[in-house]
Amino acid sequence: MRRDIVLAIVGSGGDGVISAGEILARAAAHEGLNVFLTKSYGPQIRGGESSCRIRLSHDEILSPGDCLDVLFVFQWQDFHRFVEEYTLAEDCAIFVDEYDNTPESEIPIPKHLIPRIHKIPFEKIAEEKAGTKLAKNMALIGSVIELINWPEKAVNNAVEEKFKRKGEEVLRANLTAIETARLYVREHFSGKVDTTLQYEKGEAKLFMTGNEALCFGALLAGCRFYAGYPITPASEILEWFSTYMPKFGGTVMQAEDEIAAVGMAIGASYAGVKAMCGTSGPGMSLKTEMIGLASMAEIPLVVVDVQRTGPSTGIPTRTEQADLQIAVYGGHGDAPRAVLAPVDVEDCFFTAIDAFNIAEKFQLPVIILSDQFISQRKEAFPSFNGLEIEKIYRDLANDNPEERYQRYALVPNGISPTAIPGMPNHQYTAVGIEHDPIGNPSSTTQMHIKMSEKRAKKLLQISEEHPLLRTYGPEDADIALMGWGSTKGILKEIVKELCSNKLKVKCIIPRLLHPLPVSAISKALTGVSAVIFVEQSYSHQFYRYIRAHLDLPENVYQYSRAGGIPLTVGEVISFIKSALSLKELQEGKKIVTIASEISFKE
Amino acid sequence: MAVATEYKTNLKPVWCPGCGDFGVLAAFTQAFSALGLRKENIVIVTGIGCSSRIAGYLNVYGFNSIHGRTLPIATGVKIANPHLTVIAAGGDGDAYSIGIGHIPHAARRNIDITYLVMDNEIYGLTKGQQSPTSPLGIYSSSTPLGTYERPLNTLEMLLSFNATFVAQAFSGDTKHLVELIIKAIKHKGFSFINCISPCPTYRGGMQIFKDIRAKLRYLDEEERDVSEKELAYRIARTKDYIPIGVIYQEEVDEYERVLEALREKSGAKKEIGLEEVLSTFIA
Repeated sequence: MRRDIVLAIVGSGGDGVISAGEILARAAAHEGLNVFLTKSYGPQIRGGESSCRIRLSHDEILSPGDCLDVLFVFQWQDFHRFVEEYTLAEDCAIFVDEYDNTPESEIPIPKHLIPRIHKIPFEKIAEEKAGTKLAKNMALIGSVIELINWPEKAVNNAVEEKFKRKGEEVLRANLTAIETARLYVREHFSGKVDTTLQYEKGEAKLFMTGNEALCFGALLAGCRFYAGYPITPASEILEWFSTYMPKFGGTVMQAEDEIAAVGMAIGASYAGVKAMCGTSGPGMSLKTEMIGLASMAEIPLVVVDVQRTGPSTGIPTRTEQADLQIAVYGGHGDAPRAVLAPVDVEDCFFTAIDAFNIAEKFQLPVIILSDQFISQRKEAFPSFNGLEIEKIYRDLANDNPEERYQRYALVPNGISPTAIPGMPNHQYTAVGIEHDPIGNPSSTTQMHIKMSEKRAKKLLQISEEHPLLRTYGPEDADIALMGWGSTKGILKEIVKELCSNKLKVKCIIPRLLHPLPVSAISKALTGVSAVIFVEQSYSHQFYRYIRAHLDLPENVYQYSRAGGIPLTVGEVISFIKSALSLKELQEGKKIVTIASEISFKE
Repeated sequence: MAVATEYKTNLKPVWCPGCGDFGVLAAFTQAFSALGLRKENIVIVTGIGCSSRIAGYLNVYGFNSIHGRTLPIATGVKIANPHLTVIAAGGDGDAYSIGIGHIPHAARRNIDITYLVMDNEIYGLTKGQQSPTSPLGIYSSSTPLGTYERPLNTLEMLLSFNATFVAQAFSGDTKHLVELIIKAIKHKGFSFINCISPCPTYRGGMQIFKDIRAKLRYLDEEERDVSEKELAYRIARTKDYIPIGVIYQEEVDEYERVLEALREKSGAKKEIGLEEVLSTFIA
């Protein structure tokens, strides 16, 4: 019996791999289980290899899981593409369609695992019982129900939901394929494989992707204008809003290009509507001039960057954390902005709300740095506690100014009350050119110094009022792991793992990346003798950024790998082990003595 | 109703003496006054260039943005608040060079914005380089041997983008320009005016006003069917004279009406539904 299981389904276009995975995952979430679903595809636009990985647990799930406990494959030829990301556990149970006749020598898994392969006649059951090969994913679903103790009723309900539109006959055929496969597996594998999951049922959970959570948070925060340009992996934001925004009286624009998208959002916000635009790395490069404009003209704006591997086109479908520098520093001149990074799917919801509140309150652009790993995976989590949230709207100017209205008045906190078109007696010109308090162009050094200071004053207030930071692990930890965004999951999992080995380890994850909540991070680092930076950026962007702002303890290590497949718990633990042992050889420091006593699980 | 001068700020324009853009500034204030528009309900979005400075000289809401991006920003403004009268304005470099990618899209959306391009066939703010409308063979600070890339025919271009209102004006004739601006603002949808607005400093001296005036031919909109596209193309293509007036106009649903229909189709119900949306995520 297991409390936690990782399985993958691999096939090619038309096998129904993704739809089977979605049905299974949703059914598990319905039963209150924790679920973590990721999908991978080959490069073909249609057809080609596709797969999904589902981790299912009674307990909190923090990562996709390093190794597969169970693997289902329709044809081995499809598995080649996923060799890099699907590592099989030593006790993995592997199920392949009986029809597949790949010679043993060509099966792309370690040789010693070949005896763990079992055959199930998925396609045959589909043809005989449902009258079509297309139902082989149903036979697979039936096998999963039996092998893993997947909630049968919830799965059948999900299948009914999916097929009821296609008529009673189709539905019946599919349900029969499921039932037949289930009985087949019971007859042939009962007591022979240990793949059963143990869990208690709970309340139905929310089940969504990071992009969806972000959209919903934005809608709740009052966003009523979204502009985007199709780009992987941010297109789902444009698509989701296209369905839901008009229902709330809002507008979605598919702009002619990335620059137009951000320009439209700036225009809408200038006219008083909370506005957002979304993109990925290439679009961020194009938007930087406009982000500078929003900063200069002091217009609230939310920009989502769903990071993918770069530079240039990079790998559009894979994740990375290398847009930190463009988010924080991108563009010319000193252009204050805030940068927030959600740490998981649920947090995308809260981050969207925080982003709008900060943008409105401080009248500047806020960049949300999501990534492919968070944005496209699906997670189950308990429903939000009500939809009552704090919603901030920009501070508007007094209705009857006695003198000429000063849009950019040099007020002590730098946040001058704004006006929106339609408000009488407050006509002003929003400007990208340096200006005086009225907004008239000014080219004097003195005015530029004053205005630069005015705009920069917002930053200190943001980090003081919103020092968004998460820490996990004991307060008096000796070792701190530092990371951001989507690496939170594995860092927390590593903390749990190392703490269960009697090490005192914590992780520190800033959600506000800029302006950096320096004092909150310093406080979290008190008493820590070694810091290990973990990030998915080849050039250590996060480490360099933190190093520039903070005094760090003497022992600092970096694990920075270029993006692609998300970081795994195993690779980071291996690094920690070797890094700390190496240090011991060199200097024999206190932290090393603690570490060397522990046997790491790799 | 405000008189024309009330639409002006007291900021002194940076323009050179004799600049054609003074005529455009005067025409805007007179048109706003004639239409009885409230100052707070007008937004003028401009880009970068001498002419784009006009936003600061008008006592209305303004947005003097970045180079070439007037139309996307103006589009966002208009959608956010359809009750506003939204004007986009800039020069030929701003419109036809760096910003040209936005023009066909504003035109095909038929968004209710008036786009006035002050075309002086030169980059004035940066001191006299060739622009995409500079005639072949002229000497500019970036073409010491004469220009060697053919100029755009912007009127023909706008016609082929299916713009629903295409006009040409001359800033040296303010009275006529006022009439055109009024027609353009009244037009429901995207209205485009290419306004010939000479730069005596870098392109032809004061003599250029005389040269242009000699070639002008005022179009009589009563005399012909302005929605006849082939005729409009012929006028736009002519090399015999400079056509002034409305070249083409047709009625097509403007963008806000399209969006309203879309909202209706999606079952727009204000202030309800967030719970409903959330329920779609419950497994």
